[in-house]
Amino acid sequence: MSYFLTWLALMVLLALTTASSYIPMGIFNTVANMGISCAKALLIALFFMHLRGASALLRIAAVTGLLWLALLFGLSWTDLGTRPSAPAPIDARR
Amino acid sequence: MSYLTEGFTLRSWLTTRDHKRIAVLYMIAITAFFFVGGAAAALIRLELATPAGDLVSAETYNKLFTIHGVVMVWFFLIPSIPSVLGNFLVPIMIGARDMAFPRLNLASWYIYVLGGLFTLAALIAGGVDTGWTFYTPLSTQFAEGNVILVIVGVFIVGFSSILTGLNVIVTVHRLRAPGLTWFRLPLFIWAHYATALILLLATPVLAMTLTLVALERVFGIGIFDPALGGDPLLFQHLFWFYSHPAVYIMVLPAMGVASEIIPCFARRPVFGYRFMAYAILGIATIGFLVWGHHMFVSGQSMYAGMVFSMLSFLVAIPSAIKVFNWTATLYKGSIVFTAPMLYALGFVGLFMIGGLTGLYLASLALDVHLTDTYFVIAHFHYIMVGGSVMAYLGAIHFWWPKISGRLYPEMLARIAALTIFFGFNLTFFPQYLLGWLGMPRRYHEYPPEFQVLNLLSSAGAAVLAIGYLLPLCYLGWSIFYGKKAPPNPWGATGLEWQTASPPPQHNFEDPPRVTRAPYDYA
Amino acid sequence: MWAFLATEVLFFGPLFFGYVHGRAFQPEAFASASHHMHVVLGTLNTAILLTSSFTMALGLRASQTDRSPRLWLWLTVLLGLAFLGIKGYEYTSEWSEAASAAGGEARFYFLYYATTGLHAVHLAIGIAIVSWLALRARREMPIEVTGLYWHFIDIVWVFLYPMFYLLERYG
Repeated sequence: MSYFLTWLALMVLLALTTASSYIPMGIFNTVANMGISCAKALLIALFFMHLRGASALLRIAAVTGLLWLALLFGLSWTDLGTRPSAPAPIDARR
Repeated sequence: MSYLTEGFTLRSWLTTRDHKRIAVLYMIAITAFFFVGGAAAALIRLELATPAGDLVSAETYNKLFTIHGVVMVWFFLIPSIPSVLGNFLVPIMIGARDMAFPRLNLASWYIYVLGGLFTLAALIAGGVDTGWTFYTPLSTQFAEGNVILVIVGVFIVGFSSILTGLNVIVTVHRLRAPGLTWFRLPLFIWAHYATALILLLATPVLAMTLTLVALERVFGIGIFDPALGGDPLLFQHLFWFYSHPAVYIMVLPAMGVASEIIPCFARRPVFGYRFMAYAILGIATIGFLVWGHHMFVSGQSMYAGMVFSMLSFLVAIPSAIKVFNWTATLYKGSIVFTAPMLYALGFVGLFMIGGLTGLYLASLALDVHLTDTYFVIAHFHYIMVGGSVMAYLGAIHFWWPKISGRLYPEMLARIAALTIFFGFNLTFFPQYLLGWLGMPRRYHEYPPEFQVLNLLSSAGAAVLAIGYLLPLCYLGWSIFYGKKAPPNPWGATGLEWQTASPPPQHNFEDPPRVTRAPYDYA
Repeated sequence: MWAFLATEVLFFGPLFFGYVHGRAFQPEAFASASHHMHVVLGTLNTAILLTSSFTMALGLRASQTDRSPRLWLWLTVLLGLAFLGIKGYEYTSEWSEAASAAGGEARFYFLYYATTGLHAVHLAIGIAIVSWLALRARREMPIEVTGLYWHFIDIVWVFLYPMFYLLERYG
């Protein structure tokens, strides 16, 4: 039964994300899309992949990949996000 | 009945699922690649003995240092200690019968050899001149040669690394002997566990990044091309996200080795065991946060440079903890200068020099002067050759009686160790000076005022070559004529010394039970 | 298996990274290229894949309760094949536009083909394994592990769908 409810929730979220993208909300379109995607991923992970009742070790393993991806994005963004405002000296001279 | 006498046919070796035999297979393959990479290095040093570019052309020189880099990094250093000694020792040290996935283990050896031969063929027939770093847009738009084929080869070998990493992690989690709690694990196991984590988390990024380079080369469009609004620095971020942690893939297992050898020959328990274990995990984690220090002068934002510089200094803390603890382990110990101990002490000293010069390079302003000079070359060779290769040789000597069941000639081994130490310093110390004076890397000719130091370096390379050939000879000799080794020739602690030399097929006659902390010397 | 999935996350990492870079620095080009995607087919495909995860989970439950998981596994395979079929149709119909795109749009298509292509390869491997399970498996363990892999592929798609199909649809 919980599988079916999960599936139903996923379908509702899918409809929601598709519908929301036809409403102009600026940056919040992306926020909504990604937020709903995260919710869907969480549903799949918790119920279909049984992370809900899993041991701490498995939960850590599941989060590690995402955490490391966040490191890649976050630290790269110290460069990509700030290059216009704090350029390297070689670019600042130009 | 030992694992070596379970079958003598080639077939029994090539289809084995015994982790010990797979380790020996790795050892043979890795030694072959080491000498290929070494031959390229010899030609490089020969060319640099004179200021003029007279031995090889500039193109050939570029291809030579690419061969040297690609082979040494991906086909020797990264698999060296983890795949040979890790494979042999991890199950024995934790009292298991084998790795968690024996078939996968054998598969990763085949993948390694396949990728290695493929890459080597591509490197020699046609060659690649981008260096091992494959920087865009050189690699995507301008470089001639077999860039794509080499990328495919490195990609294949990446799978071998990932599978080995998975195997080690699952083995350490699942197969520890009864009573062997996490804080009773030898530091060698801790180091390999951390290395396996890095292999799993970093290697896939490299694989996909190089795939993107290859795709961009094929289709002419991609994410790195500035003409399309892309950014070549994206490549550098992704590449160093793998390649900086890769340094720790090379050096963490070496630290594990030193942590086994030094307590044994100082007859003292390792100083600050828990701190050593935490430092290993610390290095593995912080190693992922510092990659931008390879990019200080690449045009990345100044703000990023500052962040990465600060984070890079952080690595020094756990590294220093380890160096101080090894030194403290020696304090008031009864030290025996056997060959493995000479290598281990050499490792500590050279790693320290390499690490301290790393701080020079992590300083933003100083790096502007030193970047892309021989100072960088000397720095990372002190870590990789002075660190990893010394530890690898020390480990081979230390566990040789266990692997082969024979003792090697001790005097010759000590001479070889000292030759290597001397040759290494003669080769690479002058390169610090050259870099400080401003000699850039990756050129096949140079102004004549640099010749004296370059000649010293080339002479050192010759000594080093002799030093590396010596163990090959006497270890090979000892397989047939060496004295039979007792189970525990060094009087060491650790489960691997409680079984026969060489161990039986499933490692232990009776499954061991662990009741004490490791390094129970005293 | 979870360790393997962590590896897989990072395997997709550079592609996501390239996408985020493009989205941040070439938003107009990415949005206009996204308008050429078949949003109906994409949505349908998302529904198909989510449903396949549902059948996969039911297959595992069946094997845990000593019933035959076969029906559910074959259904999963069927849904996976349907996904690939629709995807293949999209690929061919978008190809001419992709080949003539320039600048940021070309980068968008490159990422689209590379990322969804890698996803499709994963799915094809998944289909092969699940078919094999449907033919042979008696035990629960392989179904559980394959299920994790299958759900992982599903999760990747959950993110790919809004990334490529839903940019500024209102425009």
